[in-house]
Amino acid sequence: MKRTALILLDHAVILLFAGVLLTFGFLAPGFLSWASLGNLLIQSSPTAVLAAGMTFVLMVAGVDLSVGAVMALAAAVAGKMMLGGFSMPLALAAMLFMGPACGLVNGLLVTRLHIAAFIATLGTLWLGRGGALWITETRAMNLPDSFLHLGSSRLLGIPLPGIICAAVLAAGNVLLEQTPFGRQLRATGHSAVAAAKAGINVRRLVTAAYVICGFCAALAGILVLGQLGAVSPKFGLNKEFAAIAAAVLGGTSLFGGRGAVFPGSLLGAALIQAVENGLVAINANPYLYPVVTSAVIFVAVLLDTLRQRLRAAATRRIFPETEAKAFSASAAA
Amino acid sequence: MKSSRRSILAPLCAAPLLFLTGCGPSGPKKPVIGVSFETLQTEFWVAGYDAIKKECAAQGYDVAEAVADGDAGKQLEQIRSFITRKVDGIIMVPKDAKTCVPMIKAANAAGIPIVLFNRGADAGPDVKATAVVADNTGLTKLTVEYMVEMARKTGRKHTAAILLGDLGDLNGVARRDGAEAALNAAPDAVEVVARIPTEWNQEKAQAGVVNALQAHPEIDFIFTSSDFLLPSITSALKSAGKYHKAGEPGHVILGGFDGDATAWRLMQEGYLDATGVQDVYFEAKQSVQAIADQRAGKAAAPSILDPGFVIHRGNMAEKSAQMWGAHTGR
Repeated sequence: MKRTALILLDHAVILLFAGVLLTFGFLAPGFLSWASLGNLLIQSSPTAVLAAGMTFVLMVAGVDLSVGAVMALAAAVAGKMMLGGFSMPLALAAMLFMGPACGLVNGLLVTRLHIAAFIATLGTLWLGRGGALWITETRAMNLPDSFLHLGSSRLLGIPLPGIICAAVLAAGNVLLEQTPFGRQLRATGHSAVAAAKAGINVRRLVTAAYVICGFCAALAGILVLGQLGAVSPKFGLNKEFAAIAAAVLGGTSLFGGRGAVFPGSLLGAALIQAVENGLVAINANPYLYPVVTSAVIFVAVLLDTLRQRLRAAATRRIFPETEAKAFSASAAA
Repeated sequence: MKSSRRSILAPLCAAPLLFLTGCGPSGPKKPVIGVSFETLQTEFWVAGYDAIKKECAAQGYDVAEAVADGDAGKQLEQIRSFITRKVDGIIMVPKDAKTCVPMIKAANAAGIPIVLFNRGADAGPDVKATAVVADNTGLTKLTVEYMVEMARKTGRKHTAAILLGDLGDLNGVARRDGAEAALNAAPDAVEVVARIPTEWNQEKAQAGVVNALQAHPEIDFIFTSSDFLLPSITSALKSAGKYHKAGEPGHVILGGFDGDATAWRLMQEGYLDATGVQDVYFEAKQSVQAIADQRAGKAAAPSILDPGFVIHRGNMAEKSAQMWGAHTGR
């Protein structure tokens, strides 16, 4: 009985996602059409990419509140360049340079100056927002249609944002699950002190996590620009919360050491987006949106908590003494 | 020799005295108005900020500036600082209708006139402030009524989507009410099939319009509660192949509210049909005048309504001078 419950809870977010799709599919004909599902993929891609980057930071028990501001700053620079006559590839390259650079600043603040991640990234959030406002002069920058083509292009019938998202998630998954770097991240998240004792260069590892997160923020900014074709002063506002929510929904722990880029981040982002899209499709009362969305997030987190409790209980029973040894082994690897 | 030395020393000795008494060559000290804005994160607030500073200069006031970055606590400190500095008046854009009440009370206790710019307060009769606000409901109703008339002229029933603002923002709610009032009165001309809450977020707006167009490809009438969301709508219309100028087949009747630079550009290009314009210059002038009136001993009016105006392609040449967005674009 408990085994069945565990299996069900292990796939709770997938089941919840399927439930949301089926419910709205029943209420709004056409919600499950290929075109509609394609929209869902395109619209959840930026959040999924952002959540993938956030997963790396959360894995080392950190947090990056500046991702939305980094998106805005990088997009503002790209917009300014485009309006100043630079080519689109150059503007995109500048964005992709700025993201990791901002991540490096965050990483150094956390690892070298020992500022708490929450405070350090809150500071860079305000710096980034201020910089973006300064560059845009608080005015919308309408970019050439070439940016919109980036968002609406397809490769073999698959939307380009979906392909970029898939590539990021695949790379993130390989990095996290199949490399020593990923295992060391997990170990550092469990206990930075133990990881350091096991010979891991914790400073470099944590800085790398922030750099990856910054890169993902810049990439998410490109994906959003591809959909909007414009940079506004509020570009990427509150995106950090969407990214954290999607990562946590996907099974990443806020306390470090546990998480998955795939399918976790994608599922989390797609679940939130599916609820919002479904509510539009059925022309729901606008006051219901926050209620329904937060209820779904709450149920997902509740199920995940139950799963953790059951799994922890099972682990204690099955591996009472070998748990610590297993951890040490993973850290050393 | 003595006299020439005296002629050199006299102004040198007098200069610090003049500085200390504040009676230098620039003349008497001007009265100061403290201006505190909740945020400068939208074009509208920046235009309002600039208009107030210009109006203050025109009416002979110096300005002490402060921006609260969306933090009501910070704004309270800024207002207290203005009071400590004994400014001659305060103009503020509050974060919301409730949190500004202690700030107004503090200004009242210090006997400093206070004006709320573009956002009213939810306060009782015991507080004294003048709110200079746009008639959000009335102006939105007029704008949507103009769009409905356009729809009627085509001779067929239209299908509409409305983009709502933040439902916690009084201005957003008032604009929704105005749009609903106009559309409920025209069931023969327009049917609303999608009400999209955007929370003033461009991404949510874009996703909402894309999904609405997916679920209802027949949508041919869109109203947005703020022009700031127009790029989201145009992007969604472009990807759905429905972005056509007025007069072209397949044109979607498009209307907005605010009168920003994007709205002005889209109207000139023929994509935007109408927008309700808040008259920033009127509001700035009335705000500074209200301070001057109270300093002159006149009673504070509780509110001054900016009626605004609807600008459309038929009157854009004549109204452009009053449309703030026509003067702020790049």
